[in-house]
Amino acid sequence: MEKMKLIAGILVFGSLWGFSECIIGSVLRDYNLPAGAIMTGVFALGLMVMSRMLYRQRGMQLGMGLVAGTLRLFNPMGGCFICSAIAIMAEGVLFEILWYKISLDMHELQRPRLSASMGIVTSYCIYVGGYIVTQVLTPVLSSAGFYLQNLVFFIPQILASGLLAAILGGITLPAVLATQKLDIAMKDKLYYPITIGISLVCWLTVVANTIFILNV
Amino acid sequence: MGKEKLIPLVAIAVLLIGSLSSIYVYATQIDSESIDIDGQEYSIDELFFIVGEKTIETSAEEIFTGIALDETILYVGISNPEDHDYTLIGSDGYQKTVKWENMENGVLTKERRSIFSELPKAFRVRDIVKIEVN
Repeated sequence: MEKMKLIAGILVFGSLWGFSECIIGSVLRDYNLPAGAIMTGVFALGLMVMSRMLYRQRGMQLGMGLVAGTLRLFNPMGGCFICSAIAIMAEGVLFEILWYKISLDMHELQRPRLSASMGIVTSYCIYVGGYIVTQVLTPVLSSAGFYLQNLVFFIPQILASGLLAAILGGITLPAVLATQKLDIAMKDKLYYPITIGISLVCWLTVVANTIFILNV
Repeated sequence: MGKEKLIPLVAIAVLLIGSLSSIYVYATQIDSESIDIDGQEYSIDELFFIVGEKTIETSAEEIFTGIALDETILYVGISNPEDHDYTLIGSDGYQKTVKWENMENGVLTKERRSIFSELPKAFRVRDIVKIEVN
């Protein structure tokens, strides 16, 4: 695959992920909904699987996590934005590890039982893993420092909160794989204007939203 | 074992871990209206009556008012407070340990939530039921 095309893909899918975390995630938090589990089980997993399906490239989801995490840092509203940014980046890394043995055409996930199971496993592991990574790294980056006992005592809560993400992942992955049959194709001429345009809209919306809220 | 068998088995294990953890968390949730500070019980109203209120501004320019955490510790009678660490524990088991210099920049709100002006939001422990002096 052409390198520039892949970079544009990472940018657009990463931006969409970051945009959903910042804007939709904030709305979910305002309504006291479990934003973290919903964001991971629906948006993060959905976008990472979709990009793997369309581009068939390993390493792309790691790049998407970095783009989305960076975008999250531009939006200091709605929960701990440093924690969220770290968790998003960790989710990209964990997805790559979990999907390393899955073929690029995903032929082993064609049966609904397997795609739903893989959705459950992936969503739960990236959510719980991301949560644990952020519980370690956020204190390390602050003046308070990291205390292992803080994490150990909170592990049951983290494992419990991943259940919703797992259930959502079990629905999201088969739903995304079902779109394979739609055979979506884009004209080469339109590829760069569309990907860069969508990425720009995502970034400008998040930055404008931040400026607007800070000035209110 | 092939992927066809392994993936569903791991999925079942994951769902079991999540479910059992949820049951454990629900069963061990602490339901208390008071705060245990170094072994002594206080109600939030009592603390607000005794300890002076202060307003802090966070790095995200948010403003919070509550009782000063450092004054609360001094009121409880902890000697050499700068030599200790302080673990704030929420009713759901969430806990964060901070240093004295963090306590000096922190407040406890009426909703029993800790806010520190210079620490990330991860240090905002909700429904605090205990403050341990280490």
